[in-house]
Amino acid sequence: MTDSVVAPVPAPIAEGIFTLPPYDEAAPHLLGGRCLGGHGPFFPRPRYCPVCLDETEEADLGSEAKIYSFTVVRTRAPLGLPEPYSVGYVDMAGSGLRVFCLLDPNRIEELEVGRPARLVVEPLGTNGAGEPRLRPYFTPATAVPAEGDVEDDQR
Amino acid sequence: MSRPVVLGVGMIPFGKHVQRSVVDMGAEVARMALRDAGLGSRDVDMGFFANVLAARLFGDSTVGQNVLWEVGIHRIPVVNVENACASGSTAFVLACNAVLAGQAEAVMVVGSEKTVVPQLGLINSGESELDTQFGLVAPAGFALRAKRHMIDFGTKPEQLAAVSVKNRRHGSLNPFAQFREPISLEEVLESPMIVDPLTRLQCCPNADGAAAVLVVSPAVARRAGLVSGHPRWIEVRAALLATGSYENPQDLSRWETDYRAAALAYERAAVGPEDLDLIECHDAFTIAEVAHYEALRICAPGEGGRLAEAGETALGGRIPVNTSGGLLSRGHPPGATGVAQLVEIVTQLRGEAGSRQVEDARIGLAHCMGGDKAADSKSCTVAVLSR
Repeated sequence: MTDSVVAPVPAPIAEGIFTLPPYDEAAPHLLGGRCLGGHGPFFPRPRYCPVCLDETEEADLGSEAKIYSFTVVRTRAPLGLPEPYSVGYVDMAGSGLRVFCLLDPNRIEELEVGRPARLVVEPLGTNGAGEPRLRPYFTPATAVPAEGDVEDDQR
Repeated sequence: MSRPVVLGVGMIPFGKHVQRSVVDMGAEVARMALRDAGLGSRDVDMGFFANVLAARLFGDSTVGQNVLWEVGIHRIPVVNVENACASGSTAFVLACNAVLAGQAEAVMVVGSEKTVVPQLGLINSGESELDTQFGLVAPAGFALRAKRHMIDFGTKPEQLAAVSVKNRRHGSLNPFAQFREPISLEEVLESPMIVDPLTRLQCCPNADGAAAVLVVSPAVARRAGLVSGHPRWIEVRAALLATGSYENPQDLSRWETDYRAAALAYERAAVGPEDLDLIECHDAFTIAEVAHYEALRICAPGEGGRLAEAGETALGGRIPVNTSGGLLSRGHPPGATGVAQLVEIVTQLRGEAGSRQVEDARIGLAHCMGGDKAADSKSCTVAVLSR
């Protein structure tokens, strides 16, 4: 990416599902919800707690995850996504939530079940009207972290 | 308990019916079902019509009333049903419930759909859903299950491909199937990769089509001259609909909703998997059929790929699955698919399936599934029929 042109940052594909740029720290965070009575977390944040119908508040789901399954979609891509593109489920570190997500379209060859991944937010594809949008996706961690760096979800 | 009886069936070959409308196809199969049952339009006192895409593709709504009016069915309650790929089978569940509740005596169930239209694109689970915005198209959801099934159980690409080979061979024996040519394992594996690890010939094609069944009370069946035990007295032992739990995390290689719906159907029908003579299941993708083997308990969890490979689910095998050729051979007009499965089961139980007949078929199960939400299914139906 060049830094000589400051392009306008597109709007997020949905409100309240990830922290917005600029990112001071290493990575954006995925945002979900948890109910005031303690149920959850959930992704995305539900209107009401599906367990007790209480109100919900935002929950930080972090940016670290592990790939649970993935595929490469080689059909005509919807919503201006690259061809091919990859989607999968990742297990979020800490909460263990299994989240459906896009995976890094530029690193498809490096995708592997069980591999740690972290959240990236970049302009990727469009909305239904063809306007560019910020989308969250997970990219494989560059180095396999030492034991214990990523919390393992053994559920 | 006096069980509902499927007295009439009707179906047109699935395929590309470019010149035909949803109403036109629906009316034809409804008329066939009436003629097959020996009933008149005025005998029908309730109707359910299944369609998924007409509103989106053609801007049409309440199509069921239009279809039934074409065959002289009016004045009565008519309900339009949309439940994704299980729309047709959901309409059937509602029809059976109406008869069981004594609210209706003769219920027309019609599924009609056109999908071979340029504006369709890939089916998803709703444009506004976050998963759709993240690129979830229907084939991808199944590919993610296939990937996990391979990791968790050692399922091999050849085992998945064996499902396509089997179903296309069955389809070659079914005049209602879109694809009538058998294919080889090599052809399946060497066809273009669509969603890893699923190749094109492991994905059901689009199709236009329609199918109908007429569900009646035992009293109506007797008035039509049948007695219990007659080869055309096809009883519905159970017909139910389940919805996903959407709990997190979902195990993609053990589809809880699928297992739950199957277990409930066996309980209500008072039969077990060992009692079945044939199954029609939702083989939208090869991995789906493999997963459904396990949920329906015709093999142990994880053994589905090996079951297909061993030929146990082929015609002549221990428990034939998708003798019609399934979605992989028929193609998949979602409103019509679930009804077409029931037409196949009824045809087999009557002993009228010709060269694909399962010998002495007495109990058949139809399974369908639709919609994707939170890695779970939005609609899963199971029906058990017997003669």
